Amino acid sequence: MKGVVKDFVNGLWNENPTFRLVVGMCPTLAVTTNATNGVAMGLAAAFVLVGSNAMISAMRNFISPKIRMPAFVVVIASFVTIVGMVMKAFLPELDRALGIFIPLIVVNCIIMARAEAFASKQPVANSIADGLGMGLGFTLALVILGSIREILGNGSIFGINLFGASYEPALLLIMPPGAFMALGLLIGLINYLTRKPKDNAEKEGSH
Amino acid sequence: MRDILNLGFKLLLITAVAALALGVVNAITREPIQAQVEKMDAQGRIAVFSEDTEFVELDADKIKAMSPDYATVSQVFQAKEGGEVAGYAIKTMPSGYGGAIELTVGISTDGTLTGIYVGNNSETPGLGAKASEPEFKDQFKGKKVDTPLEVIKSGQGNDNQVQAISGATITSRAVTDGVNTATKLYNEVLSDDSSVQQLLVQEGGQ
Repeated sequence: MKGVVKDFVNGLWNENPTFRLVVGMCPTLAVTTNATNGVAMGLAAAFVLVGSNAMISAMRNFISPKIRMPAFVVVIASFVTIVGMVMKAFLPELDRALGIFIPLIVVNCIIMARAEAFASKQPVANSIADGLGMGLGFTLALVILGSIREILGNGSIFGINLFGASYEPALLLIMPPGAFMALGLLIGLINYLTRKPKDNAEKEGSH
Repeated sequence: MRDILNLGFKLLLITAVAALALGVVNAITREPIQAQVEKMDAQGRIAVFSEDTEFVELDADKIKAMSPDYATVSQVFQAKEGGEVAGYAIKTMPSGYGGAIELTVGISTDGTLTGIYVGNNSETPGLGAKASEPEFKDQFKGKKVDTPLEVIKSGQGNDNQVQAISGATITSRAVTDGVNTATKLYNEVLSDDSSVQQLLVQEGGQ
């Protein structure tokens, strides 16, 4: 049981997919123009990640290593397609909010990375915990990035106007180049804040 | 050899199960999805006219065949209020930044736009997707249909100009193109009653 908690926390922070593993950059950069999109994309990805991790983990003894790539692709793509169809048919409101993010998940390499690195080797419970942790860690990262870009680029957060009409937003931040800059500076800041004194000493010694 | 057969069989099994699951889900969801799409279309027509408006469908295929300019027209409805023709709701599918944008344009018989409704689209969230927000789409309300509309990026616009969404010129142009297609259709075809009569979908003797 302790292992499950550890796997969950691992994805959430220690190996945060965006800030630590730096995978799944495509959706990260593309959809974080505001905080709401960050939540939507993150939760949709978390849901798929939990589902695909659970399925791949359950099938891990059946899938031989040689055919694991095509097998994972089929499982992930089918799962995403089914989720997309069910949402369109029975949850139209949710589909309107998350709809365009669902097909994007297929190309999100976090899903593939966790299938390959974790779910194909670990029991189902741990894989679900890993999927949940990674998914929520991804959500957290997207919300932080989306909030920064929305506040500076649009003068609002979660659609609520912060500074009034006189504020001239830095439009660059919600444009694609702003995504790269904001993410780069954010990763730099996190690395700076969380670096260990030991690393520091080593670096200075090497000069 | 045996290994290859074994792996091939496993892959076959996985893909067969996946295909079966997809097929079953598709069969279950096809009709509800179709119903949702129709509901969305109806919502678009109501948004540009009103709840009480009665809509009569015209033959969009015949319209498409008239000119390549109408290639993006997908549905045309005659809007009737109290038995009188009040205008037309025209659904066009102009290509935006992320694929086709479902756009319903309402044109009143007095030659003005009653409004536009931006339905399903794949535009970038936070940029092009803002096309469905009142700030952009309400600019079209009340515009005259006799001159094609233009997109401007900044400054004070004339009567036939609309302000682009910041950072989403392609989407703004796409929506405006869709509106222009609809107004062209109105000016050249729908404003003439005799040509509208020929476009009414036959009820099949009911």
